[in-house]
Amino acid sequence: MQETRQKFHDELASMEEEVLSLGELAERAVGRSTDALAHRDDELARQVIAADDAIDSLYLDLERRILGLLATQTPVASDLRLVSAIMHINLHLERIGDMAVNIAKMSIAVRDLPGSATVVSHLQEMSDVVRPMIRLSLEAFARRDLELCLRLPQMDDPVDRLNMGMYKEVAALSADPDRLDWGLRMNVVARQLERVGDHAVDIAEQVGFLLTGEFREFTDASHPVQAVQPTDAD
Amino acid sequence: MRRLEASGLNAWFGAKQVLREVNASADTGAVTAIIGPSGCGKSTLLRCLNRMHEEVRGARVSGKVLFDGQDIYASDTDPVEIRRRIGMVFQRANPFPTMSVLDNAVAGLKLGGRLSRSELQERGQRALEQAGLWEEVKDRLGEPGARLSGGQQQRLCIARALAVEPEVLLMDEPASALDPASTLRIEQLIHELKERYTVIIVTHNMQQAARVSDWTLFMLYGEVVEFGPTQKMFTRPDDKRTEDYVTGRFG
Repeated sequence: MQETRQKFHDELASMEEEVLSLGELAERAVGRSTDALAHRDDELARQVIAADDAIDSLYLDLERRILGLLATQTPVASDLRLVSAIMHINLHLERIGDMAVNIAKMSIAVRDLPGSATVVSHLQEMSDVVRPMIRLSLEAFARRDLELCLRLPQMDDPVDRLNMGMYKEVAALSADPDRLDWGLRMNVVARQLERVGDHAVDIAEQVGFLLTGEFREFTDASHPVQAVQPTDAD
Repeated sequence: MRRLEASGLNAWFGAKQVLREVNASADTGAVTAIIGPSGCGKSTLLRCLNRMHEEVRGARVSGKVLFDGQDIYASDTDPVEIRRRIGMVFQRANPFPTMSVLDNAVAGLKLGGRLSRSELQERGQRALEQAGLWEEVKDRLGEPGARLSGGQQQRLCIARALAVEPEVLLMDEPASALDPASTLRIEQLIHELKERYTVIIVTHNMQQAARVSDWTLFMLYGEVVEFGPTQKMFTRPDDKRTEDYVTGRFG
């Protein structure tokens, strides 16, 4: 056995490390943005917004490197699937970073409005679920672990439930216009966190494709009954 | 439709066995590529498919090659007729250097029978058109074939193979000696030819196999490792050895 494309495979390995680093930054941004919101910490929120430049920079660097590999190295088989997975995961992580920025901006915008401890605790609960989802999807990627991937849809269920319940919680604040104003923005924050969970599931789907060569959606919004569940066969 | 099928095919050069129990097939209207490292037996396999292998001293074959269900190695089969119906194009363009372009195109026809000059002219033009060369040479039909460019010479050889109206076209590294533009021209031609012919191509260039073929067969040490749809072979092959070869982890 002789490695004939060492430089190419070294570049692929380096890109994989970079996308994992990007994942750590994006996951941390989500945690810090919800902390800023919960503690009305403007300084922390501004740090999250400023730190997004590093996320964007890594994202763009990876995009450039991916295009370079596609143009010059014609990857095939598992190499092609890895390039494709990195390309998608890169975009999902960049979007997660943007969602953290949105939450941080919302946190600054509602600083002077009265809130609701219950709503905040539910948002924190959502954050406490979606951050491990990001970590787990990336761990599945790093370890090439299909079983880990298949855990993601179930982890996402409480996030979806909390997001759907948020509407009622906000409606309950309608007696106080200021509190309602705050609540409507928190509904947007919940939606952002719910999307972060979806992105983590999408990352796991990409890892599934990398490992099996077959792409399938773990959850299907248009056919929820047919959503894929982990089975013994998997 | 299944056109050509090798079954339990073995081949030797003297005492050295170079093909082992090869099973493979090629369908009508499809291009099949044979890939593998040097010495894996891919050119030998190709040459077994129209009984060219036996032309080498000490070479022999066992097993079957079915052409439309008939074994081409059956004792009552005429190898010359088989080679007319299963044509071949080689790595190096080899036009007859002193023959004119037109005479090169119809060289096989002249050997095979008595056709009038106008019939030869008509069949030659048709073959040159099929090979995508007519427009470039129609005003140079009397010039020696050796005066054409390398890419044109190879297409002239393809025209020569097509003029005898084969049913299958075997191509052994048909573009390996050509520049990139001529290579792409040959690849485009292969796409066009598969509408009428069953095409089997041996290539060292894996990307060429990926570009031109519908089916890919990967060989190693005289054996077929994997045979499947080209897209599958280059995105998720079943065998680890195929994976290692196409990704360059095996040299």
